[in-house]
Amino acid sequence: MEGILQTRQLSKSFGALAAVKDVSLSIAAGSLHSVIGPNGAGKTTLFNLLTGTFPPTSGEIIFDKKNITGTPANRIAHLGLARSFQRTNVFPAFSLLDNVWVAAFATGRSWNGLLFKKANQYPEAAERARAALSDVGLLGKANQLAREISHGEQRQLELAIALAAAPRVLLLDEPAAGLSPEETRRMVALVRALKGRYTIVLIEHKMDIIMSVSDRISVMHFGSLIAEGAPEEIQRNAEVRRAYLGGIAA
Amino acid sequence: MKYQNVLLLLAVVALPFIVRPVIASEIWIFAIFGLGLNLLLGYTGLLSFGQSTFFGSAAYVAGWLLKHYGINVFFALGIGVGVGALSALLVGYLCVQRSGLYFIMLTFALNQLFYFVAYQWTTVTGGEDGMHGVPRPALLGIDFKDPMTYYVFISLLFLASLWVMRRIVESPLGRILQAIRENEVRAEAVGYNVPRFKLLAFVIGGAFSGLAGVLYGMLFGIVPLEAISFVFSGNVVFATLIGGSGSLYGPIIGSFVFIWLSESVSVMWARWPLLLGVAFVIVVLFLRGGVVEAWNRFWAWKASSKPAS
Repeated sequence: MEGILQTRQLSKSFGALAAVKDVSLSIAAGSLHSVIGPNGAGKTTLFNLLTGTFPPTSGEIIFDKKNITGTPANRIAHLGLARSFQRTNVFPAFSLLDNVWVAAFATGRSWNGLLFKKANQYPEAAERARAALSDVGLLGKANQLAREISHGEQRQLELAIALAAAPRVLLLDEPAAGLSPEETRRMVALVRALKGRYTIVLIEHKMDIIMSVSDRISVMHFGSLIAEGAPEEIQRNAEVRRAYLGGIAA
Repeated sequence: MKYQNVLLLLAVVALPFIVRPVIASEIWIFAIFGLGLNLLLGYTGLLSFGQSTFFGSAAYVAGWLLKHYGINVFFALGIGVGVGALSALLVGYLCVQRSGLYFIMLTFALNQLFYFVAYQWTTVTGGEDGMHGVPRPALLGIDFKDPMTYYVFISLLFLASLWVMRRIVESPLGRILQAIRENEVRAEAVGYNVPRFKLLAFVIGGAFSGLAGVLYGMLFGIVPLEAISFVFSGNVVFATLIGGSGSLYGPIIGSFVFIWLSESVSVMWARWPLLLGVAFVIVVLFLRGGVVEAWNRFWAWKASSKPAS
C-alpha cells in the first residue's frame, strides 16, 4: 500500500556529518508510526526535512502523491502537515487561545480583511482554536498566558498549536519530553485519543509509550534506518537491541 | 468611549494653548512618525534604526513638488505616503533578509546611503542648508498660514493615523506580527511567510513616516538635512522607548515628552539631552514598558493599597 507520506533515499549532510542517510519511509494513512533511535540518530533532522526547515541534500519527499521536496516551512502547514517541537516552542506573551488562534488562522479558509477586520471576527479560526484547546484539555485556561502555565501544560499547548492547523498528518517530536510520570500518562492518553483521527508520526524516547501506542516502528541509528516493523517485531529484533534497546529490553 | 480616548482628545484640544501651536503640531507629527516605527519595534520586534530614510525621502519629494509645481496639499500627502511606503519597500526588502544585529546595522547603513545622496544632491535638496521655501498652500479655501489652523489640520490627521494604526494592530495582521515578535520559528512553522510579513510591516511603517515627513516640511517651510539623518532615526526610537514600545499609545506619549523637552527645556538649559539620557537609562533599567508601564504600575499600586471596605 502506498503511504500518505513517503521519503525516498532522503539524505541530509551538514559538512562531513551525514545526519540522515538514504532514509526511505512510508507512512500509512491513519496509522501511528513511530521513529525511534538513540540520541543523535537523526530523528529530529528527519522531521526538519519533512517540514521544510531546510532542504535535503538528496532524495525526495512525497506527500499525498505530490513531490514536496524543498517546499519552504511556511508552505508545509498549508499542505496539511503540522508539527510539534521537541523543545517547547510557543508564543509566551500570548494567551493560550491566541497561541492556537495564530495557527488556526494561518491555515484558515480566508485571509480577507487581513489588515482591517478585527482579529476576533473570524468565527472559523476561533472555532478551530477552541476545539484544539479542548482536545488537549486546556480550554479552561484559554485566557491564561502561555508563559504562566506549567511545563506539562506547555507541552499540551505545543500539541494544540499543531492540531489547530487541522492537519492530515501530525508530526510529534517527543511530546513527553521532560514530563513527570503523571504528566506522561496524561500525554500518552492524549496521543492515544488522537490516534485514528490523524495520521501521526511520533518521535519518542520512552519505550513504554512507543510500544503501547505505535502501529509501526522505524528505528534509526547514525542517520540510517536499521529496522522497521510492528512493535513486537522490533522488540525481538537483535540489531535493534544492540543499537538501542540495550539493557532495557534484554 | 474609553478613558484613553477622552484623555487624548483633551490633549489635542488643550495642547496648542499650553505650548506654541507650532510645537504642538510638531508633537503630533512626531507621534505619527512614532506610530509607524512602533509597528516594527513594539509589535514585530524589529529595531529599525533607519526610519528617517522614509521620513526624509517623502519630505524631499513632496517638498520639491510643492515648491516647484505648486501641488495640492492632499496630493502632497499622498505622494508622501507613497514615497514613504516605496522607499520602505526597497530598504525593507534588503533588511528583512537578515535578523538581529545585522538587521539593525542594515537599516542604519541604508539610512546613511540615503543621507549622503541628499547631502550631495544639493541642486535638489539644498544639501547642508536644507530644502528651503517649502510652501504651505491653502486647502479647499482654508488658509494654513495661520499656525492654529494648520495645527487643527495636523491633529485631525494624527487622530486619523491613530485610528488606522489601531485597526491594523487589532487586525489579524497585528496579531501575526506580534506572533513573529514572540517566536519567529513557530510563526513560520504554523504557516506564515515571516520575511513577507516583516516587509509588510516595513511598508506600513514607511507610509506613516512619509506622511509625517511631508507634514514636517510644510510645518517649518524647510526640509533640513537632519530629517533624513540617523539623528532623526535615533530620536524616534528614543521617544518610542521612553513612551513605551509595548503599547499603541507609547510613541504618542514619548513624542510629547521628547518634543516638549527638546523645545521647552532646551531654551533654558543647553545641556537638556542629559535629561533624556537619564530618562533613557531609567527606562532601560527599570521600566521596559516606558511611561505607559509606569502609569499602569501606578494604578495597580493604588488599587492594591486601597483598604478593603
